[in-house]
Amino acid sequence: MTLDFSRSLRLKLIGVILLTTLAALIIALVAIITYDLRAYHRNWTADVSTQAELVGRMSASAIAFDDARVAQENLELLRLRPQVQAAAIYTARGALFATYARPGATREFPKLPEAEGMRIDGGELVLYKRIVNDKEILGTVYLRTDYELVSRVRDYVGIALATTIIAMLVAMLMSAQLQRVVTNPILAIAGVAREVVQQKDYSRRARKMSDDEVGALVDSFNDMLAEIERRTEELEVSNLELGRHVAERVRVEQEVSRLNVELEDRVRDRTAQLEAANHELESFSFSVSHDLRAPLRAIDGFSQALLEDFPDEVPEEAKRYLARIRSSTLRMGQLIEDLLNLSRVSRGSLDRVAVDVSELARQVVHEIRQRDADRVVEVTIWEGMTVQADLRLLRAALENLLENAWKFTAKAEHARIEVGVLRDREHQVFFVRDNGAGFSMDYADKLFNPFQRLHSAAEYSGSGIGLATVQRIMYRHGGRIWADAKVGKGATFYFTLAAGDADMRETPPQARESPVSPRTPS
Amino acid sequence: MPQLRTVATRLLALLALAVLIVFGNSAPASGQELQATEYRVKAAFIFKFGDYIEWPAEAFRSPSSPLVIGVVGADAIADELARLSAGRVVGERPVVVRKLRHGEPLSGLHMIFIGRTSAAQLSAALAASKGQPALTIAEAEDGLRLGSMINFVIVSDKVRFDVALSPAEASRLKISSRLLAVARNVVAPAP
Repeated sequence: MTLDFSRSLRLKLIGVILLTTLAALIIALVAIITYDLRAYHRNWTADVSTQAELVGRMSASAIAFDDARVAQENLELLRLRPQVQAAAIYTARGALFATYARPGATREFPKLPEAEGMRIDGGELVLYKRIVNDKEILGTVYLRTDYELVSRVRDYVGIALATTIIAMLVAMLMSAQLQRVVTNPILAIAGVAREVVQQKDYSRRARKMSDDEVGALVDSFNDMLAEIERRTEELEVSNLELGRHVAERVRVEQEVSRLNVELEDRVRDRTAQLEAANHELESFSFSVSHDLRAPLRAIDGFSQALLEDFPDEVPEEAKRYLARIRSSTLRMGQLIEDLLNLSRVSRGSLDRVAVDVSELARQVVHEIRQRDADRVVEVTIWEGMTVQADLRLLRAALENLLENAWKFTAKAEHARIEVGVLRDREHQVFFVRDNGAGFSMDYADKLFNPFQRLHSAAEYSGSGIGLATVQRIMYRHGGRIWADAKVGKGATFYFTLAAGDADMRETPPQARESPVSPRTPS
Repeated sequence: MPQLRTVATRLLALLALAVLIVFGNSAPASGQELQATEYRVKAAFIFKFGDYIEWPAEAFRSPSSPLVIGVVGADAIADELARLSAGRVVGERPVVVRKLRHGEPLSGLHMIFIGRTSAAQLSAALAASKGQPALTIAEAEDGLRLGSMINFVIVSDKVRFDVALSPAEASRLKISSRLLAVARNVVAPAP
């Protein structure tokens, strides 16, 4: 038998059997030995006592008739009991009458008999027995015999040891054979389980050897294996499918990424083309606008010269026509100016500096008031508004927004314009609010397209380029512009000048009004 | 152990000394005193014989009737016997000792000791006691041959005795084997 760890169940079982056997054996041996020693003591003392009684009875007449020879012969008969070491008969007066000693035993006898009784002295049993006849004490029998309790104990210990060793050997041999009945089915399961784990072969099955609990275990184990086998197959199938899916996805992703790269290339190409085209267009627009001013100035100049140089020759009707020519050239000049502004906004560098928005707004409003001193408009500009922006562009944007507000409040009964800011720790959203004509929010998305007009030119003058210019300025700053309006109730334009500021635009502007911001009318 | 009866003892001196110790006499053995010792031993033996003899029931009137010992022609022994039996019993019976002369009737006795006398007188006494349930004891050289049941002999200065079974059986007496064991010779009836 090897001490292989996997076989430890066998060793345990054998160990249990051996321990049980040992315990039973020890208990049985102790019981037997105890019983035997007690029986030995009882039997031997009774035996010796009887022996003494017999010798006494037999020798009573010898003492009575003073026949020591007969007493001697009686004692000699004790030769038949080799355990008797020595014996003696004393007369009633305590004198030695007859003696006997086993060959080899010491011929020593007490001088006087002791009281009746027996005692154990070392390995010897010493007994005194009175010889009584008719209530008359005739003498005493003295017997000294072997008392073999100690040697018997020694013998028994030896026998017990030998028995134990033999029994344990037999028990070991037997249990080594018999334990197979218990362990073989379990070890068979263990072996199958080990093979299943090592070889991942779930089609293996343990052999059922018995109908006991181990048999039930085998059934459960096999059921479990069947279940695992089934699941493993399912898992493999689904894995295969998954693998296919993954491969497909990888392929698709590769395709997508390829397309993306292609798309990016294309976008880059197109952007470059677009930028080139845009640039050309702007150059073209700039030069056209620029070049258009010279003939326009000529038309205007010569129209004026016609009026001034020939005041009498030109009929009144022609003067009226000339005035209309001049008005049209003026409008065209303004248009050209606006177009130039729009293209200027797109060109040149963006230089951000700290701008006092409140001061800038006041300057713009002041200029507008000087141009149109007849209008009475209540303008409120919040104090302390500052921002990092390009001064030239921001001024252009504010001019556009405030001129629009000024223009569209012309028909308002009590015109009001407000410039303010909504801010939190990081963002600020500026607004320009008026109580003028307003517009329908249905057109809000078209508001910032060039040449888009929501009102007729007759009603409100303008080129339709202003808000497009403002939007472009905000974009150049990385900001945004949007509007909130209602027909007849005025309009509010919100704008931000840095990316991220626009995050606040979803919140109603009223809720954003900071109470700490001073609102001082200008 | 009858087969041992013929074995001569070689411990005579020791046994003689033992006898002296038993009977409390440690004085030097003169002729006179030897005689006295012999009487005492014989008296003691006669008294102890009672323990080993079984009489027929009709020999006694009742279980407590006394054991009557007749001593014929041996007053010294009779005196000694009377002295040592005083206050003692054999079985449950008190002991009565009667001194008798030769020729006196020997009826109503359980043991009869016949002292040293002529063969003719001994024969006559034994004949007179014949048929009675009485143990007859003699101390003659051919006592048994003359019909006595027990006969004292002196062997190496020691008192021993022989036993004859036939007359005892004739008188319906049973002699214990333990007594026979210590007898010197036992004469058994011819088969």
